[in-house]
Amino acid sequence: MHVNQIFKDARYFQIIFQSIFLCYGLYFLHWNSEYWLYATYFVSCLATQFIGEWLLGNKNIPFLTRYKSGIPSVLISAFGLSLLLKTNVTGVAVFASAFTIASKYIFRINGKHIFNPSALGIVAAIWLTGDAWVSPGQWGSNAVILFAVLSLGFIITTRIQKLDVSLAFLGVFAGLVFIRQIIYLGWPIDHFIQSVSTGSLLIFSFFMITDPKTIPNHTVVRIIWSAAIAAIAFYLAAFKFINAAPIFVLVLAQPLVPLLDRLFKARKFEWAPVSRITPEEKNFLQIVYSRSTM
Amino acid sequence: MKKKLFIIGGLVAIAPTLLSFCGFYVSKADGTLKNKTSQVILVRDGNKSVITMYNDFKGDTKDFAMVVPVPVVLRKDDIKVVDQSIFQKLNDYSAPRLVEYWDENPCNSYRNEDKLMRSVLGNAQEMSAPSSSVAKKSSVKIEAQYIVGEYDILILSAKESTGLKNWLNDNGYKIPANAEEVLDPYIKSNLKFFVVKVNEKEKRKLNSNFLRPIQISFNSPKFMLPIRLGMANADGDQDLIVYAFTRKGRIESTNYRNVDIASNKNIPLFIQKNFGAFYGNLFTNQWQKENKSVAFLEYAWNVTPINQMKCDPCVGNPPTEQDLVQSGVWWLGNKDWTDYSDLDNEEIDNGSRNVHFTRLHFRYNRSSFAQDLQFQVTPNTENYQARYIITHPATGSFSCASGQKYLKELRQRRRKELLELTALTGTNMNNWQEEATVKNDEEPNVSAQYATLIPQLNRESDNQNHPAGILLLGIAMLGGAGLMRWKGLI
Repeated sequence: MHVNQIFKDARYFQIIFQSIFLCYGLYFLHWNSEYWLYATYFVSCLATQFIGEWLLGNKNIPFLTRYKSGIPSVLISAFGLSLLLKTNVTGVAVFASAFTIASKYIFRINGKHIFNPSALGIVAAIWLTGDAWVSPGQWGSNAVILFAVLSLGFIITTRIQKLDVSLAFLGVFAGLVFIRQIIYLGWPIDHFIQSVSTGSLLIFSFFMITDPKTIPNHTVVRIIWSAAIAAIAFYLAAFKFINAAPIFVLVLAQPLVPLLDRLFKARKFEWAPVSRITPEEKNFLQIVYSRSTM
Repeated sequence: MKKKLFIIGGLVAIAPTLLSFCGFYVSKADGTLKNKTSQVILVRDGNKSVITMYNDFKGDTKDFAMVVPVPVVLRKDDIKVVDQSIFQKLNDYSAPRLVEYWDENPCNSYRNEDKLMRSVLGNAQEMSAPSSSVAKKSSVKIEAQYIVGEYDILILSAKESTGLKNWLNDNGYKIPANAEEVLDPYIKSNLKFFVVKVNEKEKRKLNSNFLRPIQISFNSPKFMLPIRLGMANADGDQDLIVYAFTRKGRIESTNYRNVDIASNKNIPLFIQKNFGAFYGNLFTNQWQKENKSVAFLEYAWNVTPINQMKCDPCVGNPPTEQDLVQSGVWWLGNKDWTDYSDLDNEEIDNGSRNVHFTRLHFRYNRSSFAQDLQFQVTPNTENYQARYIITHPATGSFSCASGQKYLKELRQRRRKELLELTALTGTNMNNWQEEATVKNDEEPNVSAQYATLIPQLNRESDNQNHPAGILLLGIAMLGGAGLMRWKGLI
């Protein structure tokens, strides 16, 4: 791919933004620098992709080409795990990575994978192994402006993620929290601000739920779908005291997407605008990007 | 350079001060009661919580009253009083610790293995006894009423905060003016109010001046500590130490950032004499650096009562099984102490008797802590302790070649220790000059003395500012922008 092409590929921007978040966590928030954990995520993700491509990849394209073109997506998934999933057990880290990447090859309908890979990997690691967890408080509330700027910056620079999904989710979630905490319970305003200004929530809204491959194609349906996730996540967090509820709800909601797509026809998402590329390139990109996303 | 670990000095970092944790004291007299350092034991497994609140009330116990929001109406069995010495034990055991090493003189190899020292600072507590009367009024419902130990306990539910406030006022409690802003949300969250006063009659039977800690247990998916109410009558910052026990692993805060307090740092020898003050400085400095809204981890260890090392080094005796049961670790409670049949077959470790100890240290105030503390139990079983290292220099003559080399290394090491000290505590090097001079014993050579090194380091730091980092960052940003410009992106 030409250099310019690389810069126009949203995945590279996503990698840059995610690495900024990770560096911020490591150097400014003093996360227990568990470099081995991040190394494990990256190595296992890349290895799983190697095996997946080898066994299940499209045999019409040379292996190395296929493998190389999938690397950015794999890195995005590995960053997703690094930013959210904690564990002390190397085996669990390997399992989460393998599950994340393998899900892209296994759970597929109509060329779209069903689950957001990292979200599924995180949920699987938490529920199946019991030795992994997410730390909702890891970002604190002080860096909210940095997060907001970077997240919005990401959307604007790439123009590829769906802003409507993020805003519908954030709007409904924050709105419900506001109604409950301020209007109903009567807490002071800073109580509410602390609830919605965590980095975890913004990362989820701008980098995870937006995965263009696992959201409904139809705009209105997409907004309703996103708002419904927010409402259920709010209910679970506020009344059932479940931490990281949005991720769990997202994973459970994703199998609905193929059904919604069937019921409400709309143009399928393309990573690159069709008009600007030749049919050969289109074919190539189709295959390459079919496994994209965080 | 050879080093030997000889001993361990423990310390108590908490100032012996007044406290309450999630409740607030409501004074009947117009006193200025303050609560500064609170301690609480949290035991959690599944949906069950056991909370033990240390009672460090000072003053006339007739004036003592505590209000704690609880999620359910507690039964009498759910409320206990426990021996307060348990807090001392847990604190001593999990407090930040100082480790001592001794250098060996490279010129002769005598040993000083009998050098043992201990610097355990006591934590004085004072308390006195209380009394009260209880009346009733509408709009506030008394859900239950018990006498437990030396306490009169009421469990109230209320429809609205004004009613509760009036009820408390009518019954002779003085409510802090700003308590109402939190009473309302608690009432609407369907919390009950656990109101405690001292029963003078029961108190007299006890023959003791201390108010014992109250332990409550209940089932609720909420795993939290209501600190907001405690802010109502506290001015300034309040410290809270949480000793948590779980079956699975560490606990962590879910709505505040978790930070490990700096640990395993080499610090100057003279800190030994004043470790408590050093740690106080360190904590304050780290707390400010981390923007205050954080939970500091000071200790985390698997303390399951089987033979294994529970700290390195240990500051005190590890909590025994009885201590743990007393703290509320109910899953250890069923053992029959007269049954020796399990002595031969080592206990089958299926994890059902595991106990993980987490010590968290909060310093909260109204502006940095808008929300109550919420927690989660994680499967994180990694050990952690706040540990600081001092090294005694070798003694004797250093005339041999390796002796000279040792002195040179010693100077280097001590310079690093001094820089570490100022970095950790956020203090100026000059602040330590006096300390270093006064306590400059066991120094092998003037040139290696802290008192000599401090002015040197000061001169050096005057001469050099480090613009390198800023410069590098600037260059990187310019480079990035240039690259993007070149690629036609901006």
